[in-house]
Amino acid sequence: MKYLVVAVLGFLVGALLAGTALYYNPFTVHAGAAPAAGDRMLKYSLPDQVLSVAVGEDAILAGRSSGVDGLWEETIDRTAVMGLVLADESGQPAAIASRLMAPSPSTDLLLTGVVLTDYWLVTLPGKGTLFVHSDSNVWPFLKETFLPVWLFDRPWRGPAEYRPTVGPNAGSTASVLGVTGVFEGKSGSAVERYDVTAFGPAEHSAAAIGELFLHLPDQQVAQQ
Amino acid sequence: MRTLFLAGIVLGFGGMLAAAHWVPWISHQRLPSQTTVVANGGRAEQFLIRLPADRIAATDAKAGGLRSTAASGAMVLPAKFISEPLLVEHYKIRDATGQVVGIAARHWASGDHGLTATWSLVVPARGALVLRAPGEKGAAVDTALQRAGYTPGAAWEGSVEVALSPGGAVAGGTGDFAGLRGTYTETWKVTGVEAGGAMRGTIELYTVTRIP
Repeated sequence: MKYLVVAVLGFLVGALLAGTALYYNPFTVHAGAAPAAGDRMLKYSLPDQVLSVAVGEDAILAGRSSGVDGLWEETIDRTAVMGLVLADESGQPAAIASRLMAPSPSTDLLLTGVVLTDYWLVTLPGKGTLFVHSDSNVWPFLKETFLPVWLFDRPWRGPAEYRPTVGPNAGSTASVLGVTGVFEGKSGSAVERYDVTAFGPAEHSAAAIGELFLHLPDQQVAQQ
Repeated sequence: MRTLFLAGIVLGFGGMLAAAHWVPWISHQRLPSQTTVVANGGRAEQFLIRLPADRIAATDAKAGGLRSTAASGAMVLPAKFISEPLLVEHYKIRDATGQVVGIAARHWASGDHGLTATWSLVVPARGALVLRAPGEKGAAVDTALQRAGYTPGAAWEGSVEVALSPGGAVAGGTGDFAGLRGTYTETWKVTGVEAGGAMRGTIELYTVTRIP
């Protein structure tokens, strides 16, 4: 019996040490790719430019609860749907985006981080529609902002900048598919960057400014 | 005793790291795909949207007619887009048996050469499917309903079938849908309208795909 207790105690200490190592694991906190010069930038402000949000019952989205009309079915209870207004560099509304999000099975707490698959459908009225498939590592945000404030009740140390895009393209960029209009047949890449400007433990107390950088080489050539 | 304790630590440490790496932390519930083989090759799959239960949100501009005004989750567009032909709708989607399997967004807007309709269907356990088609005329569903006797502001019962998005094509996909090409049709089957404008009925998306 004594041997069993010692072995279990050792196991628990080992697991605790590994948990600490995972929390401070440098492999899962690296920033995603930086935007390239010449990329088309579309930006949004949370929560001001959010048109609607529906969150699955088992999903976590900073500052949002699932609400009455949440996505409760088991097949979609960890997803979220968001409508957004995207502005151009001058700050004028330029596009409407639907973001359909779900946690990714490629989540690996040792090597990759907590990965969220983010499907954007972006329509620029008068021009066309783009589909963006992005894998975002949200672990740096969870570790530095969400968990300390929400779980450990610590004061928020912000503002903080995040570059979450880690795939699915090589080079840690998202893939862009031109679906209609001037974008039809084009393909390219994208990266997202956002600055969390406010974050508190109370619901609806999060604010952020996000930027989506689109890189469509064919289109740029055509415009020139 | 000390050796046993150290062995426990090593096991605990290694086990935890192995679990962090190998355990599938995220696994979406997957229902059997309701696909059928079509006679001339390829596979057919139908997605359904039950109205009003599966509507999540829709933009508020007049361009959408009943599809906008009766939506429970209204998305208020910026003034710049109010006069644009622009309608964004979010839905839950079901398979052919009526089970909810995913979420979807539909964008109806003007492109450089006229109106376009685009769907993004996301089935978390399978991936995403992107559909595109020439867009229908504005308020196409409203017009069909009025021809069938519907009067705005009054309740209506009946049966109207409206085919939208003629010439629809599969534009792309991810996961299980990656690399697929094909066609789709979109049919709105409306069986009633509440006095407040909420439609009852079903949207049917019928896809026929193949790997080129």
